[in-house]
Formats: sequence, C-alpha cells, structure tokens
Amino acid sequence: MFEFFNQPEVIKIVVTVGSMTLFFVGLFGLLTQKHLIKIFMSVAIMETALFLLFIGLIYKQSALAPILTDNQQGFINMNDPVPQAMILTAIVIGMAVLALGVSFAIEYYKLTGKTDIDEITSLRN
Amino acid sequence: MNLKRDISTSTFSGFALSASLIITFLNVLLNNIPVDIKRVGDELLKLNGSEGVANAVTTVVVYFRGFDTLGEIAVLFIASLGIGLMLDSNIRCNLKAESNFMLKTASQLLFPIIILFGIYVMVYGHLSPGGGFQGGVIIASGVLLLLISHKEFEVPHSVITLIETFAGISYVLIGLIGLVVLDKFLGNFLPNNISDMGLLLSGGIIPIIYIIVGIKVGSEMSMITQNLIKRSDDV
Amino acid sequence: MIGFIILSVFIGIIIIAFSAITQKKLADSIILFMGVSLGSVVLFFIFKAPDVALTEAVIGAGISSLIFLMALKHLGEKK
Repeated sequence: MFEFFNQPEVIKIVVTVGSMTLFFVGLFGLLTQKHLIKIFMSVAIMETALFLLFIGLIYKQSALAPILTDNQQGFINMNDPVPQAMILTAIVIGMAVLALGVSFAIEYYKLTGKTDIDEITSLRN
Repeated sequence: MNLKRDISTSTFSGFALSASLIITFLNVLLNNIPVDIKRVGDELLKLNGSEGVANAVTTVVVYFRGFDTLGEIAVLFIASLGIGLMLDSNIRCNLKAESNFMLKTASQLLFPIIILFGIYVMVYGHLSPGGGFQGGVIIASGVLLLLISHKEFEVPHSVITLIETFAGISYVLIGLIGLVVLDKFLGNFLPNNISDMGLLLSGGIIPIIYIIVGIKVGSEMSMITQNLIKRSDDV
Repeated sequence: MIGFIILSVFIGIIIIAFSAITQKKLADSIILFMGVSLGSVVLFFIFKAPDVALTEAVIGAGISSLIFLMALKHLGEKK
C-alpha cells in the first residue's frame, strides 16, 4: 500500500482533492456561522487551502529545494522558485488584511454591543 | 450546530453535487498539463546563476520582482495606518495584574536572544531560508513578549515612526539611484561577482534591500500589536 | 512512504478545521485554528519549500493567532 501512494499522479490527486475539501469546509463555515470572529476565521482557512494547492501542484519528488548548498555545482534539477515567492507575499498580505478587519469588529462592538451577524444586518433597532 | 437559516434538502444536495463536480473538473484539468513546456521558473533559475545569490527565492522576491515587494510594503503600511487610526487614543489601558518576579526575570533574559535570532535570520537571508519578512516578525514577537509580561512597558511612538519612515524612504531612494546609474529601476549597481556566490558580502544590493524591508516590517508589526493590546476601554 | 504521510496530514487538517468552526466557545475555536496552521507548516516542509514554511510558522502560528486572541479579550465571551 505504501508503494501505491508514492506515484506522482496519485500525489497530485490527493493534493487537489484535499485542498479543495479544506476550501469547501471554510466556505461552509462562512455561510453558516453567526459570530463575527468565526467568519474571519473561515476566510483565513480558505486562504490556507489555496496556498497548499499552489505549492503542492509543483512538487516533484526527485527535485531539490531552490537553495544552493555545498555539494552542488549549479542551479539544475531544482523546484520552481516563482510560486514560492508569490505565496510568501500573499501570506503577509492576508495577515495584514485580517488584522484590519478584526480592528473594525472591535470598534463596532464598542459602539453598539453586537457581535451576532443577524442582529447587525437587521433593519430594526 | 445552529444554522443561519433553514437550509432545505435540495440546496444542500445541490451544494454537494457542485462541489464534487468542481473537484473532478480541476483534477482532470490540472493533471494533463504536457510535460515539455517551457516555464518561467526554469529560465529564471538559469539567469540566477549569473546575477543572483545562493537563495533563489530571495533573488526572485527582491531583484527579479522587486516592484511587487514595493507594492506589498505599501499594503502593509495602509493596513497599519488603518489600525492606528481606529484603535489609537491618548488613554492607555494597562494590564490589570502585576506579574510576579519569575515571569519578569525570564522575559528579560529571553528578549535579547530573540532579537539576536531575528537579526541573524534577516542578515543571512540570501544564503539560507529566511529573509526580511521572517526576521522582522521574529523581532516583533520579542517586543510582544515584553509587552505582555511588564505592566507599564510601552514602545515610544516617535522613535518607531522615525525608523519606519526612513526605512520606507531608503527603499525608493535605492531604486532611484539604480535608475540614474544603470537605466533600470532597482538595478544592481554594487559589484556582484559570480565567484562570490555563497559568501556573506555578495549579491550587490540584494541583502541591503532585504534588511531595509525587515526593519520596516518589524517596526510596523510592533505598532500593530501594541495598538491591539493597549486599547482603552472607556472611550 | 511520503505519499501516505501527505494523505494522513491532509485528513488531520480537515478534521481539525471542521471541529474548529463548529465549537461552542470561542477560545477552543482559536486554539484549534492554531492546529490548522501547524499542519500546513508540516506540509510546506514536505513539499520542499523552506522559505514558505518559515513564513507560515512565524506569521500563522504567531501573529495571526495573537490577533484573534486580542479580539477575544476585547469582545468578551458572549456566545
């Protein structure tokens, strides 16, 4: 059974199905939860699922990490460095936007005292 | 679990069916890419051997795509500005309980070690995994340790603003110097030999820019965490 | 062997994420979210991307969880 899971096609299927399932778990949480902080947490879970999909799709088992070490001659047989640089940027920006959203939620709670999203969006006071 | 509204059976089954269809479609699409197409990453790896540093991801972030890093620093600055606008006030709310002697002594012993580790990760970013973002956030977590264990500790506001401003200005200034000397924004105008690859003083302006990015990110994260912790309760 | 490890870590992350969303108290939910971040750090390390793993470890398990904990402190425990 261990040899069955080492083939590259099976690894790609596992990565795609797993990260898409995590994305839909986050989407389910976004649609059904009522507390404001749990909605932010579901968005963060969806972002993590997308990062896993990006890095998992370019994974080759015989290639090395894109850093030159002592016993190598050149930059041959290495992984792709461009998606890793983009995901690095995306992680930092996702965290900054999450911090801004949470500060808005704190200010709104200090102003009106509501955290339930049904009470926030109702038209009656 | 309480659902937000009554979800009927047809809606839920439609959701499950469309989810499985999307997963199957993505699988078939992404597994049939032909093997022998040319990729941007392979060309950039070949170019890295002649004008880059030992860490290929650092070269892509700072040198080949340096303009995107400038945009990301702008996004971080706008987020920090928004948080400072909403949560800052003149009345500071300190923590309610005074910590005991063991916690204060242990955190004062750990703080220089964390700062030293953060500076190491930042300076050696072009030779091993690490760089400006990681080192800056490590330094901010050291400041956070002091913030939550001492009752009256506060990062001085004017000093941090000055550091962050000068870090941001010098990034753009280095790019403009490259434009004047080499006709290329963020061009590499310091000496950059191939035989130096793997040494600490190599790569031209790439380590210098990453250190500037690390200083800016570290000071911004310190201000964000201080604003979140010490917000007053009475206003 | 590596394929089996990837499959088991994915299954663990999905179970932890689902139970993080459907908890009653907010404090349990935040701690389980830290578990999702830890699992993704392990997966980034297996996929041979050390820079991304270091960034996700420092930001996801450090600053991002701290932001949620500060929100819990200011919002109180109401539901």
